Amino acid sequence: MLAIDARDVTKTFKSGWFRPTRTAALRGVSLTVPRGAIVGLLGPNGAGKTTLLSILATLLTPDSGSVTVLGHDVARDAARLRRRLNMASGRPSFLWSLRVGEIIGFYGRLYGLSGRQLRRRVDELIELCELSAHRRTPYSELSTGLKQRVALAKSLVNDPELLFLDEPTLGLDPDVSVRVRRHIADLRRERGMTIVLTTHYMREADELCDEIAFIKAGAILARGTPGELKRQIRLGDVIALRLDPPAVPWLAETPGVLRCAEVAGWIECTVDDAEKRLPDLLRALHAEGVVVRNIRVREPELEEVFVELAR
Amino acid sequence: MSWRAELLAVWAVVVRNALMASRNVFFFFELLFWPIVGVLSIGLMTRFLHLTPEQASFVLIGTIALSVVNVCQLEVAYAVLLDVWSKSLKHQFLAPIGIRHLTLGSWLVGMARGGALFLLLAALGWWAFDFRVLAPGWLPVAVFVLGCFLNAWIVGVFVCALITLFGNRAEAFAWASVNLVLVLAGLYYPVSVLPEPVATVAAAIPLTYFLDAYRAHFGFAPEFRAPIAAGLALSAVYAALAHWCFFAALQRARRTGLLLKMSE
Repeated sequence: MLAIDARDVTKTFKSGWFRPTRTAALRGVSLTVPRGAIVGLLGPNGAGKTTLLSILATLLTPDSGSVTVLGHDVARDAARLRRRLNMASGRPSFLWSLRVGEIIGFYGRLYGLSGRQLRRRVDELIELCELSAHRRTPYSELSTGLKQRVALAKSLVNDPELLFLDEPTLGLDPDVSVRVRRHIADLRRERGMTIVLTTHYMREADELCDEIAFIKAGAILARGTPGELKRQIRLGDVIALRLDPPAVPWLAETPGVLRCAEVAGWIECTVDDAEKRLPDLLRALHAEGVVVRNIRVREPELEEVFVELAR
Repeated sequence: MSWRAELLAVWAVVVRNALMASRNVFFFFELLFWPIVGVLSIGLMTRFLHLTPEQASFVLIGTIALSVVNVCQLEVAYAVLLDVWSKSLKHQFLAPIGIRHLTLGSWLVGMARGGALFLLLAALGWWAFDFRVLAPGWLPVAVFVLGCFLNAWIVGVFVCALITLFGNRAEAFAWASVNLVLVLAGLYYPVSVLPEPVATVAAAIPLTYFLDAYRAHFGFAPEFRAPIAAGLALSAVYAALAHWCFFAALQRARRTGLLLKMSE
C-alpha cells in the first residue's frame, strides 16, 4: 500500500510583473512512499525539497503530473486529505500572543476535537513534547527549541496517518535533537505513521530513514536505503590503519586502493571492496615489516554520498 | 464536513480572535480610543457650527456607523492578517479549514466588538450631546447595526482577498479602499449632494441604504425606495462575490507559492 504516489511532478515559480523570470523548482519528480515508512528528502539548498513537500501537503498545486496521497488526489480532494495529514516545520511560527496550550487547542478544534476530548489531547501532547512547564507561556516568549516542540505537538494533534517534517531539528541543541529523533522513530513504531522529512543532517537521515531520495535542481538523482545509496554511488569502503612506522608511501599504489589520506594519526585507504582488499593489504604490510597496531573498516558516511551527489 | 465539525471550526476562529483581541494594547485603541475621539470631535464640531439637533444626529449617525464598520471589518480582516503578521498562514491552510469558517468566526467576534462599541458610542453621544441614537426603537436600531455589520463583513472579506492575492504589499491599499467606500456611502452628508457619477457609485454600496433607512427615523426624507430590502439584497450579492474573490485568491496563492512566501 502506498501512502504517496507522485508521478512526473513539475513546478515552476514566476517572479516579477513586467519581465517575469521563471524558476523550475521541480522537473518531473516521481516518488512513491509505502505506508508506515520514514522517507528522507535530502539535497542542497534550493534543490526543491520544500516545494515537493508542500505539494504533497496540499499547500502548493503542481503545474503538471499526478499526485495521490493516502488515496486522495491532492488537487481534487485536498479538503478530505487535510484531515489525515499534518506538518511541522523547522522554522515554526504561530500567533505571538497565544499560549502553548491555546495554540494546540486552536488546531485541535480545527480537526474536530472539543470539550473533554480536546482537553485530554492537549494534555497528552504537552506531556509528550515536554512542554508542561510552558503551557501558559505566550509563543513569542519561547526559545527556538521550545517553538519547535510546539510545532511538533501541533503536528500530532489530529494523530495524522502521514506526517511531513521540514527540517525538524534545525537549530536545536544536540540533546534535544536526539530526543526529537527518538520521538520520530517512536511515532512510526507505535502508531505506524508514515513520515516524510527533509533534513540537512546526514546522521539524522541515516539513523531515521528507511529510504532516502536525493534531490538536486528539481530532480531526484538517486534513491534507496542509506546502504544502497552508498553502494550505488560507488564511493568505496574505507580501511583505516594505525601503523608503525606511521607513513607508508607505497600504500596508495597497492592494487584496489583508490586513494589514501592521513586523518588524525590514521591512514585512511579508500578501496573498491574492503573484504577483498584487506587480506592483500595486511600481507603486503607484513612483508614490508610494517606493524599494524589498529584497524577499522567502515562504509562511506552518508555525508560523503551527499557531497558526491551534490557536486 | 458534518455540522459539528463546521461549528467547531468557526468556534476555533472565534476563540483565537477573541484571545488575540484581549491581549493586545493595539486592539484597545481600535475599540475605544479612536472611536471615542471620533465621536467627541465630530460632536463638538456640530456644536461649534450650531447645527440643529436633526443635523447633528445626521452627522453623528455617520460617525458611529464609521466606527462600528471599521472595528468589525478590521476583525474580519484579522482572519488572514493575524496569520500573515505571525507568518503562520501555511499552518492555518494546512488544516481542514475553509474560508467560510475564517470569515464567519472572525465576523462573530467583530460583531461582538462592534455591538459593544455601538452601545458605548450611543451612551457617549447621549451623555455628551443629548443625541438619542436608540430612540427609534430596538428593531430599527437592530437593522441599522446589522447593515453596518454586513458591510464590515463584505469589506473585511475583500481585504482578506486582496492580501491573499498580493501579500503584505496590499495592506495599505486595502485600508485606503475601505475608507473610500465609507466616504462614498454618505456618512456625513446625503448622497444627493454627490456629483452624479459618484452618486451612482454610492447607490451601489449597501451601507448607503442602511444609513438612509435609519436617518428616516430622525426626520430625514428617505432618498431610496425600500432601502432596507435593497441594502440586504446588495449585501447578499457582495458577500457572495467577496467570498468567491477570497476563494480564487487563495487558489492562486497555492498556485504561485505566495501562501508559502507569506509564511517565511
